[in-house]
Amino acid sequence: MEQKLEAIRAAATQAISSAPSIDELESIRVKVLGRKGELTAILRTLGELSPEERSRVGQKSNQIKAELEAVLESRKADLLDSRINETLKEEWLDVTLASAGASRAFEPGRLHPLSQIQYEIENIFTSMGFTVLDGPEVETDYYNFEALNIPAHHPARDMQDTFWTEDGNLLRTHTSAIQVRGMERLKPPFRVIGPGRVFRYEATDASHENTFYQVEGMMVDRDISVADLIYFMKVLLKEIFGREVAIRLRPGYFPFVEPGFELDIHCLICDGKGCSVCKQSGWVELLPCGLVHPNVLRYGKIDPDKWSGFAFGLGMNRLIMMRYGINDIRHFQSGDIRFLRQF
Amino acid sequence: MWLSFNILSRMVDLSGLDPDEVALRLTMSTAETEGVERMNAHLDTIIAVKLLDVRPHPNADKLTLCDVDTGSEKLRVVCGAPNHKKGDIVALATVGTQFGVEFTVKKTKIRGEDSSGMLCSEKEMGLSDDHSGIMILPVDTKLGATMSGLFPSWRDTRIEIDNKSITHRPDLWSHSGFAREIASLYGRAYTSPVDMSIPKSFPAGASFDVRIDSPDGAPRYCGLSVKNIKIAESPEWLKAAVSAVGMRPINNIVDITNYVMVEIGQPMHAFDRAKLRGDTIIVRMAAKDENLTTLDGEEHRLSTEDVVIADRDGAVALAGVMGGGNSEIDDATTEIVLEAANFNPVNIRKSAARYALRTEAAIRFEKSLAPGLCEAAIIRSFDLIRQIIPGAEASSRIVDAYPVIAKPVRVSTSMDFIRKKLGHPVDDKRIAEILSSLDFELKGDAGALDIGVPGYRATRDISIPDDIVEEVGRIYGYDNIPPKAPMVPCAPPPANEKRAMERRVKQILSRNHNLIEVSNYSFVGEDLLNRLKMNGDRELRLRNPLSQEQDRLRRSLVPNLIKNIELNQRYNDAFRIYELGRVYLKEKRTDTALAVENTRVTGAVYRKKADSPLFYEARAIAADLLGQIGVSGVRLLPAEKNLPPYAHPGRSLEILIGKDRAGLVFELHPAAREAFDIRGPAALFDLDLDAVIAAKKTGRAFTELPRFPEVPFELSVLADRFTYAADIMETIRKSSRELVRTADVVSVYEGDPVPAGKKSVSIRVVFAAADRTLGPDEIEKAQKKVIGDLDAKGFKLR
Repeated sequence: MEQKLEAIRAAATQAISSAPSIDELESIRVKVLGRKGELTAILRTLGELSPEERSRVGQKSNQIKAELEAVLESRKADLLDSRINETLKEEWLDVTLASAGASRAFEPGRLHPLSQIQYEIENIFTSMGFTVLDGPEVETDYYNFEALNIPAHHPARDMQDTFWTEDGNLLRTHTSAIQVRGMERLKPPFRVIGPGRVFRYEATDASHENTFYQVEGMMVDRDISVADLIYFMKVLLKEIFGREVAIRLRPGYFPFVEPGFELDIHCLICDGKGCSVCKQSGWVELLPCGLVHPNVLRYGKIDPDKWSGFAFGLGMNRLIMMRYGINDIRHFQSGDIRFLRQF
Repeated sequence: MWLSFNILSRMVDLSGLDPDEVALRLTMSTAETEGVERMNAHLDTIIAVKLLDVRPHPNADKLTLCDVDTGSEKLRVVCGAPNHKKGDIVALATVGTQFGVEFTVKKTKIRGEDSSGMLCSEKEMGLSDDHSGIMILPVDTKLGATMSGLFPSWRDTRIEIDNKSITHRPDLWSHSGFAREIASLYGRAYTSPVDMSIPKSFPAGASFDVRIDSPDGAPRYCGLSVKNIKIAESPEWLKAAVSAVGMRPINNIVDITNYVMVEIGQPMHAFDRAKLRGDTIIVRMAAKDENLTTLDGEEHRLSTEDVVIADRDGAVALAGVMGGGNSEIDDATTEIVLEAANFNPVNIRKSAARYALRTEAAIRFEKSLAPGLCEAAIIRSFDLIRQIIPGAEASSRIVDAYPVIAKPVRVSTSMDFIRKKLGHPVDDKRIAEILSSLDFELKGDAGALDIGVPGYRATRDISIPDDIVEEVGRIYGYDNIPPKAPMVPCAPPPANEKRAMERRVKQILSRNHNLIEVSNYSFVGEDLLNRLKMNGDRELRLRNPLSQEQDRLRRSLVPNLIKNIELNQRYNDAFRIYELGRVYLKEKRTDTALAVENTRVTGAVYRKKADSPLFYEARAIAADLLGQIGVSGVRLLPAEKNLPPYAHPGRSLEILIGKDRAGLVFELHPAAREAFDIRGPAALFDLDLDAVIAAKKTGRAFTELPRFPEVPFELSVLADRFTYAADIMETIRKSSRELVRTADVVSVYEGDPVPAGKKSVSIRVVFAAADRTLGPDEIEKAQKKVIGDLDAKGFKLR
């Protein structure tokens, strides 16, 4: 009897240790320890034995049962481990790829850099109480020139080479065309900005475009002064560049402002030390501005004795070019996504 | 424009001033300067040397070997000039002399012979155009003397002024204007170069008269005849001065008139008195088809808008632009008539443009010169003539036709107004000081200033109190004004609905659907439209296009977007792009009313190889866009008619808002792909954003989650290949409106065993009721009705 038990133990231990799968293990368990298993069968015959033998064989079989169960559990754990390891191995991915079988990443959409800067500027100004205005891109001579104190044959017209349309109108040369339209629509006091597309009759090269973007700004209120203008320009530039930027204000002539200024900022490339970008001057011309000329207020049906204002115009292309070090203005209208996906 | 320090220093003391600093001050307070140039700096290291020996170069026929004595050492120089000989005093550019940035004299070997310097011609030194040989100096010239010492007039410093920054300041088109500015900025005295006492010595009579027939075109004309003229080369200082400002020396009279123009800003002309026919100078409008040959030899047929100077027999000058050849001075001239006149800036501007003659004179006249300058210019010119041509004397008084004398300009303002506009408390004393230094006359008191504007600032430049503010501000220095936040009420600004919508659309397309925003030109050209077979010649044209590709304004965003696809497919296998922009619509192209500007958003999906039709991607983007915006009354219907030629007729869907077409989703027509060599399919959507903005929007409202079981029901029907799934689903939805919660096509199959020309459409219908669990009978009834209704429409169950 005891020999029989030993044989079962040896055979089962051998079978368990060489079982290739958890299923096989289960069938071994059933075959040996199951209700109709070999060990169970021996336990069932215990009644036929003498009490001493019964106790000895019983003890032995329980011991073997416990032993086999432990071996089974351990083998089962081993098999589970190796199965998971197998899965892990199978599920290995080349994580240096960006998608299955391809290194080209999923491409997110983009806003055009001009839209991005436009919205940045809109956010800054709307947070300071400015309304966003619109105007037509094909404009009348009146709004683009005359109402801005630039009558026909005024030499200032030379400063802005103009595209004329066959119907006698023109493509607006600056967003300043929005000024008088704004004044006609709004009652003072008001603060407006007008971002948009403008055009110049100009052959294109790396630094000249016939199509570009400006944002016009205008504030009309009581007693607006040069000091107010400087304040807003400083805030604008600080927000845009994320730090205080050194500026200088010098006289500049634009018929629709009096006094008129050119606002220069410290060259961002050399930080004012002088380089090829700023032509060794340390300064870069950024935006024309000034106090609104009384004639322009009058064209807008606003009494210049009661109200005054400032206005400025900012070239958005140039701002982006400075921010990212873009060396050719033609990229903006190129439609080339190799350029656009960089922003 | 160039500003010569030599010329300036005759009017203001420049001693001790650094030219770069002067340029910066001018930029900050007056006009933009573009650079400072030390002219002819090479003259500092070119010295007078004596030729001790001149002998042929052993290895070159045209070269000579020269031994020179610099006074302190002896050098050997190789020279290629033909005109020098032993004993001559010549100019030697010593080793290290820099001619501009491009050439520096070095110790070198020329054809095997050492050469320590370069013997110079006048042209090489910038002293004249003479390049016939090296310059031979007078025999008594001290050896070792520098050329800058010998020719000090040529050693000048000049500042370049940006012309665009002085279009509003006629006075700044002269050295006197800038001299006054410098005097004001540095607190120095300005001295006028004009001695107004000179005319006292002029005779009382005149051999000629002046008649202005068109005072609008010519407010003033001053003439003076001068006799005993001998036309000759100008003296060194004058040649150097006109050269420094970028003009070529011609002869003494021409150089003097040019000099006076750059000195005090008044363009002048000199006629040969003997060539004037008759004794009256007439200033009039040109007659129709009148001819004039100008000094440059060009013959012009004049316009009646041109002002001319004429004698008895016809025009002798195109006023304010250029003189005529018929009255030109020449070497034989002995008596001249000096002209200094004032012309209407608009006439001059038009004439200069008409004949493409933007001369120095025209550029100045179009800025509105002060009539007061005329007399001063005549006096100054005569003064110079007298100095340069001994014996020259006035043969007339100044004949002055000035029918309507310009009214002096006065501006009333107050110290407080100036301070209020600047936003800074500049004190009364400083304001008064600044204005006085700029030649303004101050009367009245601080509360009621009465300011007299100097004549040369009064033509257009200064007329209102705000102009006075600028004068004070710029001299005070804008950088000295600290920023100040205005005290204004704080309130949210009114919203701009259109701009907000544009922004939202871009966010949805770029962020939710991963499209890249492009920006295209507003222009299209004939060729592009022809290639797309969409040239109806309806685009508004430009009068002055830059090129044929950009000669008209777009009526659609599609053509340029197709060009974007053409470009980008070269470098990318797949992409999604869109543009949001305006198109310009006109019923009648020449109608003067402004074009209607329609804002549209147009996008494209492109893949070189697509597993499934891209149409559905474009459709999904457009449908989601409208859905997110909440446009109500949107219908998407198959579009077969009224399609643009670039749309695939079997893959087009129109977007209706209410009854109107607001957009189109389509795949690119194979012919259009062909025409642009686009490899692979592209699907586009083109949407009228103005229609979207104008459309009614639906708000969002919560819907209760389903509380009773949903019963799915799947079926497949056989349908004709060209059947729209929308029709099948519509039939299902209508069959029992209350019970059909959703009906979706889950797959479409063509091919064996489905007969040719047919397709099998599998649909999943979900039945449910909001208020109860559906019973088995109810469900079976609904299913049977669906099948029956489909059958009735000819869709057989498979």
